[in-house]
Amino acid sequence: MSVVKLEGISKRYPGTAEPAVDNISLTIDDGEFMVLLGPSGCGKSTTLRMIAGLESISGGTLSIDDTVVNRVPSKDRDIAMVFQSYALYPHMSVRDNLAFGLKRRRIARDEIARRVDTAAKTLGLSSFLDRKPYALSGGQRQRVALGRAIVRDPKVFLFDEPLSNLDAALRTHTRTELIKQYHQLKSTMIYVTHDQVEAMTMGTRICVMHGGRIVQVGKPLDVYRNPADTFVASFVGNPPMNLQPASLSGAGDAAALQVFNTRADLSAEQAARLSGLKGGSLTFGVRPEDIYLGLPATDAARFVAFKAQVIAVEPLGAETIILAQAADGEEVTARVRGTVSVHSGETVELFMDPEGFRFFDGETGKAI
Amino acid sequence: MLARNVIVRSLILIVLAGYTAFAAGPFVWVAIMSLRTTTEISDNPYGLPFPAHWWKYPEAWFNSNYEIYFLNSVLITTGAVLLLSVMGAMAAHCLARYKFRGNRLIFFLIFSTIILPPQITIIGIFQILVNYGLYDTRVGLMLVYVAMQMPLTVFILEGFFARLPQDLFDAARMDGYSDFEIFWKITLPIGLPAISTTVILNMIYIWNEFLFAVVLLVDDGKRTLPLGIQRFMGDNLDDTGMLATGLMIAVIPVIVAYVFFSERMIQGMTAGAVK
Repeated sequence: MSVVKLEGISKRYPGTAEPAVDNISLTIDDGEFMVLLGPSGCGKSTTLRMIAGLESISGGTLSIDDTVVNRVPSKDRDIAMVFQSYALYPHMSVRDNLAFGLKRRRIARDEIARRVDTAAKTLGLSSFLDRKPYALSGGQRQRVALGRAIVRDPKVFLFDEPLSNLDAALRTHTRTELIKQYHQLKSTMIYVTHDQVEAMTMGTRICVMHGGRIVQVGKPLDVYRNPADTFVASFVGNPPMNLQPASLSGAGDAAALQVFNTRADLSAEQAARLSGLKGGSLTFGVRPEDIYLGLPATDAARFVAFKAQVIAVEPLGAETIILAQAADGEEVTARVRGTVSVHSGETVELFMDPEGFRFFDGETGKAI
Repeated sequence: MLARNVIVRSLILIVLAGYTAFAAGPFVWVAIMSLRTTTEISDNPYGLPFPAHWWKYPEAWFNSNYEIYFLNSVLITTGAVLLLSVMGAMAAHCLARYKFRGNRLIFFLIFSTIILPPQITIIGIFQILVNYGLYDTRVGLMLVYVAMQMPLTVFILEGFFARLPQDLFDAARMDGYSDFEIFWKITLPIGLPAISTTVILNMIYIWNEFLFAVVLLVDDGKRTLPLGIQRFMGDNLDDTGMLATGLMIAVIPVIVAYVFFSERMIQGMTAGAVK
């Protein structure tokens, strides 16, 4: 069993006013693939390094399987880490790189050789065992880094943005390989990334961090569909969620939203959620894929129409991103399927799906 | 266009040839004189060695105590270079990889001594060696060389070690290796190009060093090669022929080492220059 528990963990560097990590609490269950997602400087790598034992913990408790490990050296935590730069020893062959950690633990030579050969076979490295890292491609080096972690057979795997040095095609392929390894190994994995595609496709849960704090934890699709605040709404999802100031009028069945220079009637459930607002400011959110260029064929009555002038069109083949400006001057991004024949400067009618409406407190940014 | 290229190339060749002659000429002349007698040199300083007196080399080696001076030079240089490489690498590793209070101050203190010319420090060094009973000893001279060359060694290696990615050391820590083991198994092997350069630079300096050797060694049996060469220079007469032969014996090991390691030296010369 490998449960990692962070309780009130903080990290403060000397001479800095703000902590790098501020009082975070998180439990990573046994066999879970937890992704720490956030922009650069949010504290996700610092958190990972504290779990690894490479950074001291300023406050709080870190435990692995109910054993507090705050002061336990990293070598004794039964943790293996895959670094962003792979950290392969350049003067050693692939075989020696894989075996290096095992030699220190006084494991028998036969056992070391067996583990190295098994990991090499699993990762397709058998024909590269005598090569040095400089003679390997980026993808091969990444596999050696992963193999070095696998041979250790640790309780917990840590990944610090391991795919960020790969090109787009290789990143997609390696992502799939990592998911395969996760299902094979069935180990607890903690993965740090700023790439939300990796977070959405790889994690069983994602933990969004911002400014040293945890903003939201949940399953990828839950976080995507129901962001806890405007930061999560704009960070998770590409293109990001459209966020606009909006004003509320009426109440109950007559509740309506004024946004993009159009009136959008609200459902009873939405009205009830917003009833507590009482004059406070409101931020309205809708994802680009919930905005349609043409009126959808089914259930058309519920869609809210508004006019906008096209600013830019980005045809991506399978979909098209349309950046437009509504009549109230606000910019809006729509993601429509396939290719469309609209041009910059053209005025189009866009349709929003009310089921995709999200509301946030205009002052705090928190979801309502 | 072609004619212009030919003229430009020719000019460059002339300049290079001229500089080569200027730089290498004296050395070639000494090499030629090493095969001629003093009388022949006096009659015609720039003459060619026909016949070549090869007997001068064993004469210098066996009859002029060159084998003793050579051995002393080898012992002192090898010992000093070894100490410099190990201690210098350890100091550079600590200064480059560890954050501690006074890190930069220590680095500055070590490096600032490089500006002191030997003529300023020699009296103090002389007195210290006398006080500790190390005057006129090979060990004493070796320790002086270690002290004199440590700043440059640490400077070059610190710059190189500082460029090593921190992830390598983190990975080794997670693999269970102690700081000391990380130094021997990671830093030293990876730092070999820079260490090779400091080995060559230190070797060349210590092998040719004269001032400290002449002041701090008195016993003829402990003298180094530069002092041995000096023996051919009398008050009234210089044995120019044997002087040249002695110089060649002293210089040949350095040339061999340089030719062998020249690529690594150039690679390592910039090791500390760019971070």
